[in-house]
Amino acid sequence: MSHPSSSREGTLSRAPDAGRIKVGVSDLSVATGGETLTTSGLGSCVAVALVDPSTGVRGLLHAMLPNGTETGAGIERPGKYVDTGIKTLIAELEAAGASSARLEARVAGGAEMLDLTDAVGPRNVARAEQCLDAAGIPIVERAVGDGVGRTVRFRADGRLVVRAADGFERTL
Amino acid sequence: MRVDVRALGACNRLAERGAAQAAGALTDLTGTDLSVEVTGASVASGEDLAEAFAGRESIGVSVGLRGGLEGEAVLAFDADNVDALLSLLPGGASMGRSAVSEVGNIALGGFLDGWANYLGKAIDMTPPRYFEADGAAVLPDGALAGDGVFLFESRLDATTTDLDFSIYMLPDSGQFRDLVVGKTAPAAAPGADGGAGNDGADSTAVPYESLSTFASLAKRGSANAADNIAMMTGLDTTVDVSRLRFVPLADVPAEVGVEPHAGTVFELQGEPSGYLAILFEEESAAKIAASMLPTEPDEPLGGMAENALCELGNVMTSGFIDGWANVLGTSITHSPPEFVHDIGSAAISPLIAKLSRRQDYGFVIDAAIQTEGIQTRCDVYALPDERELARALDRLSES
Repeated sequence: MSHPSSSREGTLSRAPDAGRIKVGVSDLSVATGGETLTTSGLGSCVAVALVDPSTGVRGLLHAMLPNGTETGAGIERPGKYVDTGIKTLIAELEAAGASSARLEARVAGGAEMLDLTDAVGPRNVARAEQCLDAAGIPIVERAVGDGVGRTVRFRADGRLVVRAADGFERTL
Repeated sequence: MRVDVRALGACNRLAERGAAQAAGALTDLTGTDLSVEVTGASVASGEDLAEAFAGRESIGVSVGLRGGLEGEAVLAFDADNVDALLSLLPGGASMGRSAVSEVGNIALGGFLDGWANYLGKAIDMTPPRYFEADGAAVLPDGALAGDGVFLFESRLDATTTDLDFSIYMLPDSGQFRDLVVGKTAPAAAPGADGGAGNDGADSTAVPYESLSTFASLAKRGSANAADNIAMMTGLDTTVDVSRLRFVPLADVPAEVGVEPHAGTVFELQGEPSGYLAILFEEESAAKIAASMLPTEPDEPLGGMAENALCELGNVMTSGFIDGWANVLGTSITHSPPEFVHDIGSAAISPLIAKLSRRQDYGFVIDAAIQTEGIQTRCDVYALPDERELARALDRLSES
């Protein structure tokens, strides 16, 4: 977790130049240059994109479940959970030169994909809102809920491009 | 041999880290971004492996392992990707075989570093041996012999070019067996199973023979599901691949991919409980649905097609799990189908999230079923609860 532009335990590729950093499921990553952070196939999972507009330091989390703190389960894989993921992402952003007081958030995902699985999507979103609020980070834009899968690109300018399964694209 | 599922998780994690090191080494060498898409341990008999690799042509290198681990590791590229690889390397196509050997050597060295660190012992590699192989001949020596092996397989993906390759490692018994049964993996439990807590009462050690039996059962289930498609549609079907693998659950969505898919998902109730997803790529879904309908539907994937796919999913699922209950001595039923039509990885992610509350790794049965004539393909993913499966398999060995 120490290298600013690598992800959990180095399981992700490096990002030379203005490349692309893929953030997998239960994963988080920080970018300090012109890289685009991407994560795909957000169903019930939630993506939290944080940027410090002054320094341009950005981070993206793709979390699967809401609570890792209560059970202590988030210690091993912080990115798996919304709460431990946000906490870790903030710490990594600060280590990379961001100020937590300047961070702003964009949130996407958390869809209700299936009736079979209880509403984990909305609970992920609610947990993200709660944690960001507790950290004093405003959510400036969001594309959450509904029953649609999403893919996101977090651009160097701090904007989050959200593409839905039907091809509809929004820039947050 | 009893296999501790949590220790297997720790081993898989090592393979995953090793693959990331290999990707890093290749990124440095080629200047092309490479990332690890998926790492898993296949539980397969020699016969299954021969079948799964039929028709593939590979080139690559193999190295013998001595010291901390003994066995063989192989790095293989699809023969079709070789030109893409060579074009990225210093020296280009003129380097040919020596370039492939060099790349393989560097990547395998990276791969094995993680294992050596973990074991606290050096792993010596014999000089790389270049090979061109048809079918399962690519696999390490010994993979096709005997009743079954664990084969660690990582697939790496180049983000800008078509350069997927796989690393296979088949450790000999001995030290590796000790790793898998948990004897030499003290960090295994917290490392492999962070999400579950330690509930002590649940054993996750299962006899290898039972795993092997379950792999055969899964294969038979895939054949049943394919037969049921044939029955419903009148189309000839074949099972292309059917594998029982042990993988990090978080990798499964990436494996399904970001293409739009349509299909059905089911909850399995009983022991083991879990989920089953039957996913067609959009075009395949529309074609197979149309083949079941008396008239051309107004919309390719509208209400009529949805009903057809749900009906098809029902009979496929029944066929798939048919036999599990008998062999495992339990009762397993499935929920009514739920239709999904979305980005493939998004459609499966809630199932993964649900299972991930209790486990980070899981056994995944994946089967690819193809129909002749109208050329469709679907993937079936069965995701059983790890502890319940372990319990059922354990009982299987006692009966």
